[in-house]
Amino acid sequence: MFSKTDICDGVDLVCVKTDSFKTNMIDISMALPMDENASANALMINLLKRSCKAYPDYIELNARLDELYGAYVGAGVTKTGDAQVLSLSIACLDDRFSFSGEHILNDCVELLASMLFSPNIKGSSFGADNLALEKRLLVQRILEEQDDKRYYAFQKCIEVMCAGEPFGLPKAGTPEQVEKAKMAEVYSAWKNALKSAKIRITAVGNIDKRFITKTFKTGFGKIEREPCEIKTVFHKKGSKFARVDEKLPVNQGKLVIGYRAGMEDENDNYYAERVMVDIFGGGTYSKLFANIREKMSLAYYCSARLIASKGIVIVQSGIDTEKEKSVSAGVINQLNEVRNGKFTDDIIKSSKLAIKESLTFTSPDDYCAWYSSQILYDTIRTPKETADNIEKVTREEICAAASRMSLDKIFMLVAEGAQEGNDEG
Amino acid sequence: MKVKVYEDEKLGEIVYSAKHSSGLEIMVVPKSGIKSAFAIFAVKYGSVDTFLQNDDGSFSPIPEGTAHFLEHKLFESEELDAFELFARTGASANAYTSFEQTAYLFKGSEKISESLGYLLDFVQKPYFTAETVRKEQGIIGQEIRMYQDLPDWVVMFNLLKALYKQNPVRIDIAGTQESIAEIDDKLLYSLYDRFYNPSNMVLTIVGSVDPDKIFEQVEKSILRKKQPVPVRNFVPEKPSAVKKYTEAKLSVARKQFLLGYKENIQTPVMKIEDEYSSAVLMEALFGKTSKFYKKYLDEGLIGADFSASLFNGYGYSVFMIGGACDDPEKAAKCIKAEIAAAKKNGIEEACVERAKRKFYGRMVMGYNDIENVANLLVGLYFSGNKPFDDMKAVQKITAAKVNKRLSVIDEKASALSVIIPA
Repeated sequence: MFSKTDICDGVDLVCVKTDSFKTNMIDISMALPMDENASANALMINLLKRSCKAYPDYIELNARLDELYGAYVGAGVTKTGDAQVLSLSIACLDDRFSFSGEHILNDCVELLASMLFSPNIKGSSFGADNLALEKRLLVQRILEEQDDKRYYAFQKCIEVMCAGEPFGLPKAGTPEQVEKAKMAEVYSAWKNALKSAKIRITAVGNIDKRFITKTFKTGFGKIEREPCEIKTVFHKKGSKFARVDEKLPVNQGKLVIGYRAGMEDENDNYYAERVMVDIFGGGTYSKLFANIREKMSLAYYCSARLIASKGIVIVQSGIDTEKEKSVSAGVINQLNEVRNGKFTDDIIKSSKLAIKESLTFTSPDDYCAWYSSQILYDTIRTPKETADNIEKVTREEICAAASRMSLDKIFMLVAEGAQEGNDEG
Repeated sequence: MKVKVYEDEKLGEIVYSAKHSSGLEIMVVPKSGIKSAFAIFAVKYGSVDTFLQNDDGSFSPIPEGTAHFLEHKLFESEELDAFELFARTGASANAYTSFEQTAYLFKGSEKISESLGYLLDFVQKPYFTAETVRKEQGIIGQEIRMYQDLPDWVVMFNLLKALYKQNPVRIDIAGTQESIAEIDDKLLYSLYDRFYNPSNMVLTIVGSVDPDKIFEQVEKSILRKKQPVPVRNFVPEKPSAVKKYTEAKLSVARKQFLLGYKENIQTPVMKIEDEYSSAVLMEALFGKTSKFYKKYLDEGLIGADFSASLFNGYGYSVFMIGGACDDPEKAAKCIKAEIAAAKKNGIEEACVERAKRKFYGRMVMGYNDIENVANLLVGLYFSGNKPFDDMKAVQKITAAKVNKRLSVIDEKASALSVIIPA
């Protein structure tokens, strides 16, 4: 059962108690304004994940996790609206499966709390070697993410659209910023997150709410909290249109079209936006799938997604570079059809059913992702409420939502052809 | 149909299985507390099936990528295509082709029986024309291109090409631009006829379902009669690698490598205990608690993505170790030295126990996920195992078995695949 409790100022605990799963999961998400501290923050959360006072070496911590039946610890850095969200989580086997009645869950809750509150520090230092390792790994991860060209092109489009806005910044900063981060900054990043981040702890599974509450109340009890305010800037209309491209030696071009959804804030017209974007380019019944892929055979994928926390819609497709004009004309044409109501009632029905299906969660991760993604909002949408409101969306609201969309920027990754792509040996 | 019941008490799971008169295996796992169900209708026909057996027992080649091509085409029908049917129930339907199987699946929480009906129906009633097959070549061509830009994919297939001369595991699952050009509607219909025979298929459904009702529905819905199961072609390869080194340039930031050791196998299917003992071996040698990982992560030779695993299936088995790395040759040298040292000293009992405990935990966690359970049962069935054989196998792992697996690693059968930034 779902419940929300305040731990202290700006820190809440969301519990979903259920014995349907064999795994329990606890996620701590911390939201901070997206700014020049992004790299120090990202380094900090990865340092917290790597070791703690009780297990100062990562090999010792990993061995402890193995002992806890292969418990997973995760650290994440994402953007939600104009906030950077840092997360630290643990997923573990439920106690009923242990060999000799160990309390896996409570041990994991304590371990997670000690990673957050008692990291491996001496004075105000995480250790020069530890920071150097984390810098190297973070730079590598940033570069490796860019190797995924679909993701790279998506990021580039956001960067061009939101130039000068916090949302346009890379989520963990640039490799150069990571390299430059100083120990003092990383240490303050930890202190600052505990003091001023907006924090949501989500616990899902066969959980002991009292124990979790007590553990985190004790931890935060020693901290003087001054939670920050995070306000995301929304632009209802796209600024001056521009098409930006970049040539790379790859086999497939990537077309990314960025729209402003016409939303004033994340709640503005939310349900109609979701159904509209899904009809436009969500499932296999969508306008983009049916036309760009199935009818015109131009792409393996062509889809649209809504980033409600920023009021943006992004269309993505992997194509032959010389087909760019046909594909973008096709996309614009399909959006016009949605605006003009050229879609069947069956599509509306299918889309609502599919969105509701996506709200039927089958794992603790699904629940954690759902609640932590709403970290910036005090009023939480439950999956059930969301499904009920999706059902109420009308055809007129869908057309109106599509009409509010305005084209902002296009990013095209131009394929120059891989030089020695595949070894035919 | 006679129903067999498999139970793992500790796990708290029951699998109900039955064999349809057509030869189709059906497995149902009811789960309480979950609103959804996940179903897979799978055929033992994957990218490694590049030969067909003739009546005289000999084998004739077929183009690469046919299993994957058929997967794309089965979603169509003369009236409503499969996607449109599932859109009525809200179930999310999909399909995938792997080296060894093609699977059609859906996840749904409303009208599960209606969705199951659609699944059974569209897989059993192929409909495509010369024109629709031609059209699909464009879509699949883009899919192949997309994969050719993924470094993880390219580094693995280049390694497989360096290790295997003939085994079809060396070819991209979707085939090549050239091989898909050879595929037409007639060929697809004839292959459908050979492979999509219920004796060569399995249906698994996990979640909010009643086994009796599922068996009753499936009993009435199977259209074909029992036929002989297609035989796969197993061509033993030479123990040594085709070539020791292979490289490709891609648009990546850093070098990436994969070192592979081909196992000299005499029978095409590996015992599940051997498979899991190999996983424990890789974990003990190169996992995140190993001395190797600590030493070379600290030194900067390897990164957080460094991993080691056994990659195996019908007729192939390769230990694969790799990740992003600025000096692949040095990394390969260090890995070889580590294996040589382990062969001399053996793997410690304590390492094996810790890795075992981790695997046990991860496997139980895996039974959480309805999608994972459905896939797991398909895999177990096609490799000749029974439900929960996986849980039994993990508990039987010993240091002796792990050391025995270590002894099959042979440096002469190794190759290094490297990706270099373009």
